[in-house]
Amino acid sequence: MIEMKNIRKVYKMGKVSLEALKDISINIETGEFVSIMGPSGSGKSTLMNIIGCLDTPTEGSYSLEKRNVAGLSFDQLSTIRNQKVGFVFQNFNLLPYATAYENIELPMLFNGKPAKKRRQRVLELLEMIGLVDWKHHRPTELSGGQQQRVAIARALANDPLLILADEPTGNIDSKTGLEIMDLFVKLQQQGRTILIVTHDTNIAAYSQRTINLFDGRII
Amino acid sequence: MRAQLFNLFAREFRKRKKKTALITFAITWGTLSILLLMSFGRGLGNSFRISFKGLGDNLIMIYRGQTSKDYQGLPKGRRIRIYPGDIALLSTLIPEIELISPESHDYFTITGGDRETNRNVCGVGPSFQVMRSMIAESGGRFINEEDERSARRIAFIGWNMAKNLFDKDNPVGRTIIINRVPFTVIGVMKKKLQSSAYQGFDADHAYIPHATFSRIHTQLYIDRIHIQPKRPEDNQLVERRIRQILGRKYRFDPEDDYALGIWNTIEQAEVAGKVFIGIEIFLAMIGGLTLLIGAVGVTNLMYALVKERTREIGIKMALGAKRRHIILQFLLETVFIFSKGTFWGAAIAYAIVRLTRLVPISYEITGIQTYLLRPIFSLDILILFLVILGTLVFFSGIFPAVRASRLNPIEALRYE
Repeated sequence: MIEMKNIRKVYKMGKVSLEALKDISINIETGEFVSIMGPSGSGKSTLMNIIGCLDTPTEGSYSLEKRNVAGLSFDQLSTIRNQKVGFVFQNFNLLPYATAYENIELPMLFNGKPAKKRRQRVLELLEMIGLVDWKHHRPTELSGGQQQRVAIARALANDPLLILADEPTGNIDSKTGLEIMDLFVKLQQQGRTILIVTHDTNIAAYSQRTINLFDGRII
Repeated sequence: MRAQLFNLFAREFRKRKKKTALITFAITWGTLSILLLMSFGRGLGNSFRISFKGLGDNLIMIYRGQTSKDYQGLPKGRRIRIYPGDIALLSTLIPEIELISPESHDYFTITGGDRETNRNVCGVGPSFQVMRSMIAESGGRFINEEDERSARRIAFIGWNMAKNLFDKDNPVGRTIIINRVPFTVIGVMKKKLQSSAYQGFDADHAYIPHATFSRIHTQLYIDRIHIQPKRPEDNQLVERRIRQILGRKYRFDPEDDYALGIWNTIEQAEVAGKVFIGIEIFLAMIGGLTLLIGAVGVTNLMYALVKERTREIGIKMALGAKRRHIILQFLLETVFIFSKGTFWGAAIAYAIVRLTRLVPISYEITGIQTYLLRPIFSLDILILFLVILGTLVFFSGIFPAVRASRLNPIEALRYE
């Protein structure tokens, strides 16, 4: 699923350059549940962004589902993000003026899925997250846990095999957090690859493997 | 691009309706100003041209003068007068002349109805009708060839004189007494816009055949000759030929501008026409600048909207939006704001022009309202405007849209 070799990422801010990732090599198989841990500034988010094709490495090679993403254009990366990756963010990142239904539908708007199929998929996902009755509510009218469930449904809209979650329980209470984690476990059982960034060991305990980062290196 | 995306764009645009309302108003205002400025400018020029033709269409007038140069041993200061024989001479020797007519006039006591008035009476030829826009109200006619040949005692009178003498009664067929000689009124002049004149406006005059005038008046010379060239562009040539021919006959220097009075309205109209085109361009520029301010406002607003939606743009990019999706959305919003503003501006301008034109204007020369109340909303103004607008839309939309599409998705997602 994910093959990374000798990945380096350097941010240049004026004259100062910051090496966020130093020689990272990772292999993740399809269907794995992996957590990435480390203190803030250790490069977790950078690694996640590169895996999710939101960012590109400065050096090294990265293949996603056997496809080398080096040298792809912004629009080609957009297509990969749209088709192959589902993002779940700590702060949900739902569009504020759109209903739960419309938020879940959004990724499908960018690849031109026919209206009927879109509708079918949105209803299917609403059912899965148990929010069918909330479909016309806007994010502000939903609780944190409900918003994160909508975000997970949105991540699944185009049925990607890879789900990337950055501190998905960071902004919700621990009880609801457990429900969210149950959802991820369910997704893994469907055969999806789950990658979670966290610094909560209780969350990391759900994963089969933990990658520990410190100062841009795997330890 | 897919229809569902447009739904999304529309939904997002409606969310910002209040923020865009003010700028839409600015565009409406700009559109309204430029269109009104140009319509009224165009109307001003047009009314001027019409009123100028109220005196006459493509007219050259000759009248007496006084020499200002010694010529062939003759001293300067001699009076030069024109005589009836000059008509045949000029029309024979200058083939470029289409119409020619003498005019002599004097003030006479005129009695008609139960009233009496003292007015200018002009003896003129039949071709005066065309040259001086003497159109009869229905039921009447102007002087014709037969009237001239037989020196008939008939009169064509201005609408003011008709009103003064007969009030609301129809003067046609009635008798008026000019200088103790009875004349039959054959026609009343239809009202026209007239901006320039000599010895008062046509509306106050009575016109009788020139042959008849010679019989009630003792003057041997004629006061004026009216000439219309076949082609207006020949006006300079005809003027030059007149000076040469009459100069030879009355022995004055053709280069002596004072020997013969010549009023070349064609040349004057050309100059005036250029002035009005200049005014139109000037007004268009003022309007254009107003619109430019509106466009700068839109650009600013779009930048603000892009900034405000940075995070949303980041979310969309993370979910698979391509650059063109982002560009298109902001461009469409700009186009929409402009279209809305333009539509209302143009609609209001059109309504104002139409309503203004409904205001009745008097044909007496009473003032500026005669010229201001006939604005013209024409297609070429609209097209010119849309071209300027299109350019502004393009430039005020493209930069913010491109900036939005160039955002880094990671930074955009972090934006608070």
